[in-house]
Amino acid sequence: MPVYWTISPKAPGTPPGAFALSRSEGAEYRLSLSPNISMGPRGFARMIALSAGFLALPLIAVLGTPVLWGLLPFAGAALWALWYALSRNAAERQRLHEELRLTRDAIEITRTNPRAPAQHWHANPYWVRLRLQDKGGKVENYLTLEGSGRVVELGAFLSPEERAALHDDLSLALRHLQ
Amino acid sequence: MADAATHDHGHEDNRSFFTRWFMSTNHKDIGILYLFTSGIVGFIAVAFTIYMRMELMTPGVDYMCMEGARITPAPEGECTPNGHIWNVLVTAHGILMMFFVLIPALFGGFGNYFMPLQIGAPDMAFPRLNNLSYWLFVAGSALAVASVLSPGGNGQLGSGVGWVLYPPLSTTEAGYSMDLAIFAVHVSGASSILGAINIITTFLNMRAPGMTLFKVPLFAWSVFITAWMILLALPVLAGAITMLLTDRNFGTAFFDPAGGGDPVLYQHILWFFGHPEVYIIILPGFGIISHVIATFSRKPIFGYLPMVWAMIAIAVLGFIVWAHHMYTVGMSLTQQTYFMLATMVIAVPTGIKIFSWIATMWKGSVSFETPMLWAFGFLFLFTVGGVTGLVLSQAPIDRIYHDTYYVVAHFHYVMSLGAVFALFAGIYYWIGKMSGRQYPEWAGKVHFWTMFIGSNLTFFPQHFLGRQGMPRRYIDYPEAYALWNYVSSIGAFISFASFLFFIGVMYYTLRHGQRVTEKNYWNEHADTLEWTLPTPPPEHTFEQLPKREDWDKQHAH
Repeated sequence: MPVYWTISPKAPGTPPGAFALSRSEGAEYRLSLSPNISMGPRGFARMIALSAGFLALPLIAVLGTPVLWGLLPFAGAALWALWYALSRNAAERQRLHEELRLTRDAIEITRTNPRAPAQHWHANPYWVRLRLQDKGGKVENYLTLEGSGRVVELGAFLSPEERAALHDDLSLALRHLQ
Repeated sequence: MADAATHDHGHEDNRSFFTRWFMSTNHKDIGILYLFTSGIVGFIAVAFTIYMRMELMTPGVDYMCMEGARITPAPEGECTPNGHIWNVLVTAHGILMMFFVLIPALFGGFGNYFMPLQIGAPDMAFPRLNNLSYWLFVAGSALAVASVLSPGGNGQLGSGVGWVLYPPLSTTEAGYSMDLAIFAVHVSGASSILGAINIITTFLNMRAPGMTLFKVPLFAWSVFITAWMILLALPVLAGAITMLLTDRNFGTAFFDPAGGGDPVLYQHILWFFGHPEVYIIILPGFGIISHVIATFSRKPIFGYLPMVWAMIAIAVLGFIVWAHHMYTVGMSLTQQTYFMLATMVIAVPTGIKIFSWIATMWKGSVSFETPMLWAFGFLFLFTVGGVTGLVLSQAPIDRIYHDTYYVVAHFHYVMSLGAVFALFAGIYYWIGKMSGRQYPEWAGKVHFWTMFIGSNLTFFPQHFLGRQGMPRRYIDYPEAYALWNYVSSIGAFISFASFLFFIGVMYYTLRHGQRVTEKNYWNEHADTLEWTLPTPPPEHTFEQLPKREDWDKQHAH
């Protein structure tokens, strides 16, 4: 799932694999969120290969006639368009992500947008209010942070359960640092 | 950082009419636009056929006269038959129905609206490209209609070369009507290819987390396979008709024997596109029927995996059987044998689908709401069309039936009755979801029965005419064919009345229909994601990803 925590330095004695929390002075939590992409590079390659194969079928039939040159540009353009659309969409979904950095005296979120400038927010974690709104928000389990006079959303592209889990983890982390 | 939208008024729909419908990038709005536009074009194409059936009702030419097209029969001796009008109408009916009604309605309309919903995607991958596809389709429809009204061959309006645009007929047809028709197909092809790429990208990249390929609902699968076939088949058509255009206007000779070209090669290329085309039309119908039958049998669909693989197999086979449309052009015996066998193989995946639908109903608790009636009609009529298809696939028999009304009956049973019945099933199944208003049940049933009786009365007698040897594409016929042509025309008028009634039903439903607010107004076996949304769905859906138990029903029933 596209939710990653990195915490440094790790608290001594934390069992490996568990959600490690640190109370130490210089502890830094980093959180990275990104949307789900349902097709990997292998699927992409398979899709292009299959399409190229079937597009070649009528071309084989007209090899050696001038008609080949009438069909080739269209077949090529269709394949290129498929390639471009799939890779551009995947790249955009990869680029869309939210990074959260949390220390004892600063919390900041950077949202990287595929086609718009990155958005940025920071506040003092002591005064930040974390809220999980299960109904009535923009999405189910709408997760928002309030601080520096602004309300910002977090992980709107995740699934509701993931946002609920994220809320628990994040509130725990905030409590540890306060 | 994205500012939160916690206030309630943040998500109201306050777009103006113009912004909403003319500049829409929302897949649901574009889907609705596709449905309405193809409905309007469909009315034109249907009106053409009614005029044709009026002409064919009795032997002798009464309406399409050299003296002018008439609405009332001409008095004895005052009508010189005008075959050009007839040819233009046949051509326009074919082009409009193929490119501007069935694909846009089933693939563009329902595909746009429900495919992203069923896979839990917030919108299409490229919303503005989607808008472009729609307006290209509108432009193409306008060009196609303009082609009927602009100077063409025989010193008259329009071009009458058949929707297949075979050279040398299409390359020698005078006037610019033919060029407009070619442009129309070009533009609609571009629209379909862009739409297809959009749908493929959405389907592959934007499924909800954990929704692997073989958990995707059947309708979304059917739309994806259709999109892929469009992507592979339409560039070939675009290439072929571009060469027609240069043959007509720039003195090339791709298909002109006098210049070393090969007209039969055009037929091969056209049917390489043309056969997949008929599956492009029917596949989304298969998807709709699967959901309708599962819902009203109150059982999950029987054999989900074979159903998906059958659709994939139909798509693949669709690309390797094209020459069964042209047994009579002089292919070698081996070639004909191959195409004959390959064609018959299609009966296997199609049979898998038909039997799976029947097995879904088996021991189900079947009820006959309007969508289910249409699905039943589809099942019966599509099977009839499929069986006559098997007859026609036999190269020796095809020599007898080639270019007779038997062929007309066959392809109208699969397309006009198969695809159109699936389209109506989809409309009645989803209209409450799309509009928030439900149709009157009795009206849907009246529409179904009149259409069922009317269309069978229209096309079943055409089998008899074909067996008697009546050829296609003629304005007139000898006395011997009079009886069944008369019956067929009566059937066409009943179907047309039924279609007009349907327009009334739609108007009533959308303006005064009973409001539905339930998310799922059928039953729990309508279990795809669109039924977890409010009715009608809000402007934006699934910005959050849907929960797994909303769509993964494997352990639910």
